[in-house]
Amino acid sequence: MNNSQRPIARKSGLVVQEVPDEVLVYDLESNKAHCLNQSAAMIWKSCDGNNSVSEIAKLVESQAGGKVTEDFVWLAIDQLSENNLLEKPVASSFEGTSRREVIKKIGLASVVAVPVIASLVAPQSALAAASCTCVNPPSCSNTPNLGCPSTTRCNSSGLCAP
Amino acid sequence: MLALQDTKFGSAVADWLMSEKSLEHTRSFDNEIVFESYGVRVRIQTTSPELLEDAERTARKALLDRLEILESKEAEHTFRISADENETMYLFLNGEQVSYDKFHARFFKFFNGILRIVVAEHARDTVFIHAGVVGWRGKAIVIPANSFEGKTTLVAELVRNGAEYYSDEYAVLDRHGMVHPFPRDLSVRDDEFRETDVPVEALGGKTGTTALPIGAVLLTRYEENAGWNPERLTVGQGIMEIIPHTIPRIFNTKFSLKVLNTAVSDAIILKSPRGDAGQLAIKLLSFFDNFIYLAKIT
Repeated sequence: MNNSQRPIARKSGLVVQEVPDEVLVYDLESNKAHCLNQSAAMIWKSCDGNNSVSEIAKLVESQAGGKVTEDFVWLAIDQLSENNLLEKPVASSFEGTSRREVIKKIGLASVVAVPVIASLVAPQSALAAASCTCVNPPSCSNTPNLGCPSTTRCNSSGLCAP
Repeated sequence: MLALQDTKFGSAVADWLMSEKSLEHTRSFDNEIVFESYGVRVRIQTTSPELLEDAERTARKALLDRLEILESKEAEHTFRISADENETMYLFLNGEQVSYDKFHARFFKFFNGILRIVVAEHARDTVFIHAGVVGWRGKAIVIPANSFEGKTTLVAELVRNGAEYYSDEYAVLDRHGMVHPFPRDLSVRDDEFRETDVPVEALGGKTGTTALPIGAVLLTRYEENAGWNPERLTVGQGIMEIIPHTIPRIFNTKFSLKVLNTAVSDAIILKSPRGDAGQLAIKLLSFFDNFIYLAKIT
């Protein structure tokens, strides 16, 4: 684990919306939305390329008002990297240990909420989800263009889908 | 085009696409209207006056007559409709074929849906969410959901129990997060997915007329024998659930997220599958009565 690394939060291609106690990030390139809890958001904002992991831990500790370890910061950085929210990916620092085990270990020792990032892939376009007339559900997905755009088919749920 | 030929129907579809691409260019689209709806300018061109008449009627129905015919010929989106000698109709959007059909009613039903989505995706100062909406005690109850998840059924039951009808299709949010009515007839489906348009008056209900702040967001879908056992979500978690139903999320992401935050920051956001809509509607309205009362005294 290299605690002298200085991760940089990605800025381009993202729309960031602060909401009460959380930060929403929409990735315009991948159409993914992320919800960072307060701890994850604080760590992400501290990733300015100047702060090392140890320094980020101290910064977050002063803001959160509770002990923050370097493992705690790494837990956030792991998730930020996995979700492409850093300029450069960072190798996972918990090799051989599951994230669940790390969360358990950190969570028990910390009064600060463990950093969590929830993500989802948003559907590409509303046009693709236009509802259609599925006259005979069992055969709908096999029949081209029952009221759907030409690149999609009406599936058994009555949705136009590839 | 080559990739399509690997699929069962690919070859036929590919041939058909090629023929229709050329069709668009060989026909003469002499009949035209340009209109503006929710700030979006749309042009419709057809190969006959009759098709234009049908298209305008469909557009007015799709957008609840909230459109203004313009003298200007400038538009951001162009629909073209043509028919061949076999009376098959073809629909093009901005030069790309999107549908064809021999059945008039089904063709225009699809056009109705696509036109509404195009306007909803590109609307100015407005965020359309695919959702059912009712008004209750001065607040909007918003039910975002995909088609076929029981949105209309729950909206209809809430209306039968006294809620004001706003929409079974879209929550239309202004920049301040207020919900405006989009009260098309309820699209009620039978067991075989056949749709019938039902006016709200037929349910003994009435339509809301004023913009409302959101009091509650219900993230729910019908599941047989499911009980209503809701989990309360944070604002961030709630917005994450609403994003897939937010129509302009691709074209106006920043504005959409900002409006969603404003709209739901004071709302209670509940998530649970549901069973019977009739029983749940009574329970929900009673719950919101208590919730609103408690919110007033605390």
